[in-house]
Amino acid sequence: MGDEHLVKMANQIADFFRLKPEEEAVAGAADHIVKFWDPRMRAKMAAYLAQGGEGLNPLALKATQRACPTAPEK
Amino acid sequence: MALINALAHTIVTEDLYAKEFVAERCEQADFNIWLDFIKLPVNSPEAMAKITNVPASEIRAAARLYAAGPNSAIYYGLGVTEHSQGSTMVIGMANLAMLTGNIGRRGVGVNPLRGQNNVQGACDMGSFPHELSGYRHISEEAPRKLFEADWGVTLDPEPGLRIPNMFDAAIDGSFKAIYVQGEDIAQSDPNTKHVQAALTSMECVVVQDLFLNETAAYAHVFLPGSSFLEKDGTFTNAERRISRVRKAIPPVAGLADWEITCALSNALGYPMPYSHPSEIMDEIARLTPTFTGVSFDKIDELGSIQWPCNDDAPEGTPTMHIGGFVRGLGKFELTEYVPTDERTGPRFPLILTTGRILSQYNVGAQTRRTENNSWHEEDVLDIHPHDAEHRGIRDGDRVALMSRSGETSLRAHISDRMQPGVVYTTFHHPETGANVVTTENADWATGCPEYKVTAVEIRPTNRWSDWQEEYEEFKDVAMRIGDPKVAAE
Repeated sequence: MGDEHLVKMANQIADFFRLKPEEEAVAGAADHIVKFWDPRMRAKMAAYLAQGGEGLNPLALKATQRACPTAPEK
Repeated sequence: MALINALAHTIVTEDLYAKEFVAERCEQADFNIWLDFIKLPVNSPEAMAKITNVPASEIRAAARLYAAGPNSAIYYGLGVTEHSQGSTMVIGMANLAMLTGNIGRRGVGVNPLRGQNNVQGACDMGSFPHELSGYRHISEEAPRKLFEADWGVTLDPEPGLRIPNMFDAAIDGSFKAIYVQGEDIAQSDPNTKHVQAALTSMECVVVQDLFLNETAAYAHVFLPGSSFLEKDGTFTNAERRISRVRKAIPPVAGLADWEITCALSNALGYPMPYSHPSEIMDEIARLTPTFTGVSFDKIDELGSIQWPCNDDAPEGTPTMHIGGFVRGLGKFELTEYVPTDERTGPRFPLILTTGRILSQYNVGAQTRRTENNSWHEEDVLDIHPHDAEHRGIRDGDRVALMSRSGETSLRAHISDRMQPGVVYTTFHHPETGANVVTTENADWATGCPEYKVTAVEIRPTNRWSDWQEEYEEFKDVAMRIGDPKVAAE
């Protein structure tokens, strides 16, 4: 799965939550990623974040940092 | 999404909403936040008319009609969900129904028109990669433990991959095998070249179907499917109605679908000792709170049952959400319109939308083998006369259809039914390869492909596309059926 595709998915998820207060928005987007992304997708995002997370919008960046802090074991 | 928001804006700003219903049945704090959002001028019919091309006066008239009722129901088709904001739009429709009190009684509600007869039933049974039956997330410990105890196994609490993500993972090398039952992903899923690359990357592709469909061309093992006439079971339709399907003849292939799955599981080391589908329904009832009262005997007795069917509703539930929602109070969610990333431009100035017609069923694996073909023997591209004239295209001409994903060719059908700037085709015939052109854009929440929006260009041509020629050549070899005796040796 290309990083570009994952970045797009994360940005789209963040877009849904972006009108909520920041903490609620970050929590909502992060919860969605944890609930619906397979661990290998989260692991890949974790690796991408370690390189800086370029292309993620500010809310998506915070949400993915919360949802994908380290590569989950699988 | 733009249209639904404009309808809600009208109902709110013209003070047409059901204040008593909202006060009694919905969370007030969330409603107030939503109210401030939906009143914004950006959501007005006048602002949204520029996006939807629906005149503001018509949007306002529709909103007044819906709000006035007294009974208004929303029915929506697959097209709603095949957008990048499909889920948001469904949430928007739920907002509309709550706003006007059109939910929780007979004759109202939000009703999806399903694409197949048992979409509802498949969803109910946990066919999503993150759910157990009855819409319980796999991460929830209580239902997971229930299944673990019943099945004698340990279940992974993490969500699995959805189909498009399976393809990505196959190309990455971490997804190695797939068992496809009654679906033709090589023809139905978007960006065909990507799907083909994924299927050829896998180490084991098993296809179980009535016919050698397009996915079968990539199969290492093909298992025979059984039709609805050859098996016992149930179908569940969009109104949650569980109905029996009864075997009329023995399975021509010797085993019904469920027997093949059980045999495979037994061979792989997990015993499935069911002797009849009714025993599988008994297990569903044992493990699923909304199905505890369902059995084949009761369905036979009542004719059909609408779930939930349990101690609280022993004969089923014809209408849901009476007096309260599953979560308690209804929650208004903010549904901002966010345009898709798929945009027209100088290279791809037209929008392609794909769909189905009455005489062919989905990918046509079943109906292309029948006389229905005389009504629809090939996929054609519907195009407005202005767009056709601008490109020198006459009715019946072969045209190349190009997007950033790929290129195919088909015949043009000039039609006033189309809006200028929009073209349409069906995906019933594999040689057309309509999904060679569609992209991997998808809904943010469900991953449902955005079949309704692909930026394309069209030009006259006198040949098939490279993909079409290569696919014909590949299929000719891949679908060749060898001598079973030789294969056995």
